[in-house]
Amino acid sequence: MNCQQATHRMTGLFDKEPTPEMDLVREHLANCPACRALFEEQQHAFEQVRQSSRVAASAQFGAKTMNAIANAAALETTSTGNFWHLQGWRRWTVAACATALFVFLLPLLPLHLGGSRSTPAFSVLAQSIQAMSDVQTIHMTGRMRTLPGDNFELIGTDYGFVPLEIWRQYNPSRWRVEKTGRAVVMDGQSAVLYISKLNAYMKASPQAGFVEWLRPLLNPESILQSELASAKQTPSEVTVTEADGTITLTVQRKAKGSFTNSWAMNKSIDESDHTCIYKFDSATKRLQSLQVAIHAGGQDVTVLELNDIRYNQPLPVNIFALQLPTGAEQMPAVEEMPPAAASLPGPKEAAQYFFDALAREDMDQVRDVLPANPLVMELVKKQYGGLSVVSIGEPFQSGLYPGYYVPYQVRLRDGSEKSYKLAVRNDNPQKRWTVDGGF
Amino acid sequence: MLTMAQQIETWPQTIAQFECLVEATQDDLVNFAFHQLGNRDDAEDAVQDVYVQAYRDRTKRQHITEVRPYLFRMVRNRCTDLRRFRQRRVAEPITDRVASREDTFATVASREQSLELRRLLDGIPAREAEIIRLRAFSELSFAEIAVVVDKSVPTVKSRFRYGLDKLRHALSAEGGTR
Repeated sequence: MNCQQATHRMTGLFDKEPTPEMDLVREHLANCPACRALFEEQQHAFEQVRQSSRVAASAQFGAKTMNAIANAAALETTSTGNFWHLQGWRRWTVAACATALFVFLLPLLPLHLGGSRSTPAFSVLAQSIQAMSDVQTIHMTGRMRTLPGDNFELIGTDYGFVPLEIWRQYNPSRWRVEKTGRAVVMDGQSAVLYISKLNAYMKASPQAGFVEWLRPLLNPESILQSELASAKQTPSEVTVTEADGTITLTVQRKAKGSFTNSWAMNKSIDESDHTCIYKFDSATKRLQSLQVAIHAGGQDVTVLELNDIRYNQPLPVNIFALQLPTGAEQMPAVEEMPPAAASLPGPKEAAQYFFDALAREDMDQVRDVLPANPLVMELVKKQYGGLSVVSIGEPFQSGLYPGYYVPYQVRLRDGSEKSYKLAVRNDNPQKRWTVDGGF
Repeated sequence: MLTMAQQIETWPQTIAQFECLVEATQDDLVNFAFHQLGNRDDAEDAVQDVYVQAYRDRTKRQHITEVRPYLFRMVRNRCTDLRRFRQRRVAEPITDRVASREDTFATVASREQSLELRRLLDGIPAREAEIIRLRAFSELSFAEIAVVVDKSVPTVKSRFRYGLDKLRHALSAEGGTR
């Protein structure tokens, strides 16, 4: 390499990541004092520019900019009328309508205002909804007494706490609810439930009931409105107090459902006499925490706590993209089940059909009443195949469950006996009796 | 190790992703705009406008993979517009503008240094000074700068070399080189 070539190419040494070709230039510079002097002068001039001044954005710039972006987002409208997809001003408009509706409901509600400084409930409601109108993301962390992997509805006073996490994004509208062994992700188009123990998933519309009681928490701006509105329908006591910078909304509610048979009592929050304590920050009017205790056996037992609620923080990039593990299989919906070999007239017959099939290890017959993927079928066969029926009792209804519970006692292949209640339902378009759980 | 800014490979589509983008690029973009406009308030306004525009256009720009240089290009265009607007409105040179009350001492000191540098850079063709500024202040490679100014890489390198030679001579003339 001669001096002319080196002079021409030494610019490459100023690139961010010099190419291997620059080794030749460096080699020339090492052996040519004139070119080296020229390069060093260039380098010195460049460093003077580089070090001359460096201005950083002001401390408020990031927040101001995100606010401007949030405003831009709020001005965008969507084509769908679904509340979950509403963004910006449309979401606020709906929320404002909810406020107006509540003002009409207020005189009908059994409100008990007290504490150091009573706060009109409708004022708290309106301010909370307004405060939530600029929220773009929410991240809630907590725990609930439930069984890992089981549905989000199930609670039990003697269960241990299982971690619970909720992520919510408004624009576009997406959410994720997760506890040990079970996750539901709504990516804007559909909701997907994944159960890790079964390596199985179900896909349904965003309104699918995968998260059950937790669903209102995905819309904290409307919690007050929905709590107070439901107070009108269920015997309850609502108290709103404000003290020490915190607005506390306490809702005491009786169990919902029919309890002629008390089997379902205290198995979900709605099916329990319970108290919800919502705490809102007085300044921001945003929900800070939630604690739910059920009243069972003469004592209050906390079954759900959300103590860490963060707003407008960046959420993990892929949090709304459920990465299904290799081999994950889709659980068939009832509508997708193959035609049944037999038409079953009622819940008891469905239970008998189910246990009879397990006794004979006829998994095709099991499949007639149990919507499940092959892995679940395999697990069921392994645990219950070859059983013998000791007794099957009379079906009954309890709580809010739309189907029937069928008492049973079976003897398993290893000689052990199991007594429980099989959950059977037929609230599907085909009115087909299917086994829903309880085994 | 790659910085967060360097890892931005796709145009963000969500508020949360934009928050990450702003966090990762705000200092470099404001610094770049500051050296174009000579005033931090104006620089921040320009950069904020660009972020909002980037959000509004997120769908049509989702195919862009060179996010960082493209943002610089948007800031560059915005600064050009603002300078043209100023030229129409006021005759005063931007170097004589009074610091706003929002400016910190550090910013004012920085501007003094910047003015000296600006004087030297003003002595060389604007298109060459621009490449030097971009390379010095933005941590962009020559290939990325080519995207920013919409020219070929050899052209960018030539402008850098010619500009740097002129700056070197100017510094020598003022006794600034060693």
